[in-house]
Amino acid sequence: MAVEFKDYYEVLGVPRDASQEDIRRAYRKLARTYHPDVNQDSDAEERFKELGEANEVLSDPEKRERYDRLGSQWRAQERTTGSGENFEDFFDQQGFGGGDVRFEFGDGDFSDFFGRLFGDGAGMRTSGPLRGLDREALLELSLEDAVAGGRRRLTVEGGRGIDVNFPAGVRDGQLIRLAGKGAPGRDGGPAGDLYLRVRLKPHPTFRRQGDDLDVDVPVAPWEAALGATVPVPTLTGTARVKVPAGSSSGRRLRLRGRGLAKQGGGHGDLHGIVKITVPRHLSDEERELFEKLAEVSDFDPRKNRA
Amino acid sequence: MNEQEPVELAVIARQAGVRVTLVRRYVEFGLFEPAPGTSQAPLFAPSNASRLAKAERLRRDLGLNYAGAVLACELLDRIRELENRTD
Repeated sequence: MAVEFKDYYEVLGVPRDASQEDIRRAYRKLARTYHPDVNQDSDAEERFKELGEANEVLSDPEKRERYDRLGSQWRAQERTTGSGENFEDFFDQQGFGGGDVRFEFGDGDFSDFFGRLFGDGAGMRTSGPLRGLDREALLELSLEDAVAGGRRRLTVEGGRGIDVNFPAGVRDGQLIRLAGKGAPGRDGGPAGDLYLRVRLKPHPTFRRQGDDLDVDVPVAPWEAALGATVPVPTLTGTARVKVPAGSSSGRRLRLRGRGLAKQGGGHGDLHGIVKITVPRHLSDEERELFEKLAEVSDFDPRKNRA
Repeated sequence: MNEQEPVELAVIARQAGVRVTLVRRYVEFGLFEPAPGTSQAPLFAPSNASRLAKAERLRRDLGLNYAGAVLACELLDRIRELENRTD
């Protein structure tokens, strides 16, 4: 694997002749900014590790001297070979490590570059085991999945795929905790937890109002006027619902407990909303009957309008 | 799945990957408190383990003292709360 050269001065944003005090100050400031517990950006953790590595090398005069020496040699070589070679080849030619040398670094916190440079174990300060960071991932579910529960494969940070089981009746915004599935711990400490944040996707048929659901119930004018029993889709199938005689558009027909799971148990309701729908084209007979109806009816839908 | 039963200090320590004496110290500094009604034999919410690990990471990584780490945790919680409210 090619090992890339790392410019630790650039990482800390200090000039090559920076004093130890400058380096310490730059590191402290950047560490506060990019600490993954402080900074929620996804690349903060990577940046913070880089800072730690740069500081490890540059704050120690001995390591800094070694790094400076190797760095300038590397650049000199790059000039003569036209940058065709990578840093790893350079190390091998210079007789630094390579081959079977094993490096021990806390959970790969430091880069391969660092390992090559200080492979003798001059490594990081050990500070004892510590639990890894908690992670959060989004679990997007359809309403049907949320009601039924199931299993989903998620890709989490680092490209890792994990299978997660989620129970029936999860709610929008709910956090599901998966113990030990977060970032690995430090120096043998336990891994953090992974929190799945549930998000319910919009549904083509059902509109979500908290734990309740709305669904349109198209009915013919005569069904609305005379009353009818019509099929209404639910999240688990179809229910038959009675539309009372004299129902206008917008009337809400409640199906108790057919909504989404509620916090603390129970279910919300499903509301079928009456939507009177007329034929786009009328047959001659239909037209005749409607005309007749218009003639005999004294119904005025706009009577109560101011 | 969600919030579990309160547990002993030693369980929190194990989950956070730290020694019990360190947890005691953080409790003294008020990072978290025993669950209500457990003052005789203090028990703690398991969610405190991640809070504790966070305080300890901040303390070690940024060179804070205990009071500073507890304060940082409280301020970070505050910020998250405010951010969530404006979402």
